[in-house]
Amino acid sequence: MSDHGAGPRSIANPEIDITDVFAFPSPERPGNLVLVMCIFPFKEIEATRLFFSDALDYRLRVRPIRIAASGPAAAFAVGDQECHFSFAFDVPKMSGGRMVQTGVCRSPLGDITVRVGDEEGAQSYGAHIFAGCRLDPFFVDQLFSGGIRMTRKIPPITAVNSVEGQNVLSIVVEVEHGKLFGADASSLVAVVAETATNGSFRARLDRVGRPEIKNFIMMDKTADTVNRDLDVRDLYSEEDGFKLRPDYLGAYRARLNGSMSTYDSLDGKTDWPLDKNGTHPLTEMLLADFLVVDMSKSFDEDGYLEIELAMLDGTEHKTCGGRWVNHDIVDSLFTILINKRNGPRISDGVDQTAMPAPKVFPYLSPPNPMPPKLAPLVGIPT
Amino acid sequence: MNGAAPSVDTIRTTHGAIALSHLTAQIDGYERRAASGEKTSVAWAKLIDLVTLKAQILGRIADYERASVLAERLAEAFSEDGLAFLTRARTRASLHRFAEAMEDLERAVQLGLSGREVDAEKAAILQAVGRYADAMTIRQCIADVFPDFDSAAGLASLHADLGETDAAEHWFDESYRRYRSVSPFELAQLEFQRGHMWMAKDRERALHWFLTAWRRLPFYARAEGHLAEVEFALGHRAAAISRLKRLAADADDPDYAAELAGILREIGRIDESNAWQARAEVRYEELIARHPAAFADHGAHFWLSMGNNPGKALDLARLNLEIRDTPNARQLFSTALAACSGATRAGGATVRPTASVNELGDAT
Repeated sequence: MSDHGAGPRSIANPEIDITDVFAFPSPERPGNLVLVMCIFPFKEIEATRLFFSDALDYRLRVRPIRIAASGPAAAFAVGDQECHFSFAFDVPKMSGGRMVQTGVCRSPLGDITVRVGDEEGAQSYGAHIFAGCRLDPFFVDQLFSGGIRMTRKIPPITAVNSVEGQNVLSIVVEVEHGKLFGADASSLVAVVAETATNGSFRARLDRVGRPEIKNFIMMDKTADTVNRDLDVRDLYSEEDGFKLRPDYLGAYRARLNGSMSTYDSLDGKTDWPLDKNGTHPLTEMLLADFLVVDMSKSFDEDGYLEIELAMLDGTEHKTCGGRWVNHDIVDSLFTILINKRNGPRISDGVDQTAMPAPKVFPYLSPPNPMPPKLAPLVGIPT
Repeated sequence: MNGAAPSVDTIRTTHGAIALSHLTAQIDGYERRAASGEKTSVAWAKLIDLVTLKAQILGRIADYERASVLAERLAEAFSEDGLAFLTRARTRASLHRFAEAMEDLERAVQLGLSGREVDAEKAAILQAVGRYADAMTIRQCIADVFPDFDSAAGLASLHADLGETDAAEHWFDESYRRYRSVSPFELAQLEFQRGHMWMAKDRERALHWFLTAWRRLPFYARAEGHLAEVEFALGHRAAAISRLKRLAADADDPDYAAELAGILREIGRIDESNAWQARAEVRYEELIARHPAAFADHGAHFWLSMGNNPGKALDLARLNLEIRDTPNARQLFSTALAACSGATRAGGATVRPTASVNELGDAT
């Protein structure tokens, strides 16, 4: 599932685990960029007892980018300028008979203090922030997604959302795009989210750009022509999403090439022919693993991967790209990987949560007071 | 990785209040579901592991007992599931029922369970009963295959038990370098072990590590209890007494009351000491009746000192030695034997030796 439990480290330490990242132009206020990160899945405990760690730095990083090339060698050029929103949280204190936690968002715009769970959030310096427990916005049928991986076939649909009713901790930032890099900056921005230790010994613990890169694509070792006994996901999560180290690039490429070729073969035809080096056409684009939003376009619910696919086609993109909370990325990604949208939509049968996210701040549904029991399969990424 | 280990203060972990809130909330959730009949062996095992962790941190005997009861039921309900027996092995080992724990591990293997979890548990039991060479073989194998925090911490703990402080320090440092979590539990437990290693050899060092563990996890009762003991030894009497009074009043573990009684007696506050001693004695009696193996060691120490009953101490020290042939267990038995022998010679009225003359002779 999206990035839930995407590697041994996150499975062992769910509080560091970034489950989802979303980035989109505000549907309420054109010109505003909205950034969302969700953390800490699978805690079957009351929403009021879920707190952010005071030992973590929760970061949303934004950089201006431009399209450096289109066509088969499509690529982004990532700027050096960066605007990041770094959240640190206090130890909760008793107040009015319940535990209350506060946090501080540090950014180049200024520091903003927020009370965890405050529906109104906090506003300063042209930014509006929220931090607190929300309903997990992701939806997937793990029997379907895991079934593909285990059987190498498209399984029958059971249409059960494996994470229905679960909660996650969430951080939301809505900010005037013009305040980030100046009025003349590129309208294209790239977004990644990270959790890192916040002592003087710093280590990046988890990092997410696009959904399902690590679980749907990187977890499957069997089609890998280089490493069939290595879970590369923890290594990948430690990387700077804007600049992967050369050390493991070969391992990541081999994993993506092998895994995506397997998906492409599921319908018995090849929609993504490999080049003479065995490279899948999507590999380099997906290794630029950040969400891409065009702030010159208006909010679009279905912009996910549209910019990237248009670039590969050598055409102009038409939408804002990015990722809206309710977009069904499972169906989108499977359809793209399996038939390049040249065939029927590949669907797991789950098209939304029971309570889709609203198009008003903070763009996430309120938490379930007490999440239901997880199915036995859940927590084992499939 | 080369270079010195990062200092403890630089490895920040989630505050104990948050971590404990999540831990207890998780336990509550599993308990609620178990009560409503929703039981899988995995969920049940998870609940037992969480309750055991809570017991280790808060030092509550009731939690150990709860985990033990749950584990016994788990093994009955899932008699063909290796996980059930691995889980029960852990709870039995926590109550020093090492032979039964080892049988459970063998059963888990017969049922198809294998791998690191089983090996690590086996090594822990072998280490606890003094079979250090066997434990080392397993721990070294695990470390070769999995060069992570847990394997380094396992080796640190084993070298500490062997009294090999240089090697232990190396592995303690290595554990820090390998830590990639923000959970306070594992690090605080490691720091406690490090302090424990230094208790008899370097009290200042022991103080540092107990203090570090307690600051990381302010509810960590064992760390605070040992911290108080070292503080008192180093002359920080008021701090030690304050800590122990709080612990002794809150805890269902008699160790704190016994320690407090000893300290108060040493500084001449006899009436207070007697009250705490009586409280500890009643509780030790209760616990030894229920879990003789688990409290044989501490009970023997109590009746050798505050309890002033070398005969009873010898019985318990012998039981302790039977279940784990470690240097400490041998030392305790020798001390109890000597105390018994001396008391018998002196004809002390409070001495009620139950060890046979032969036993006294054999051991000496």
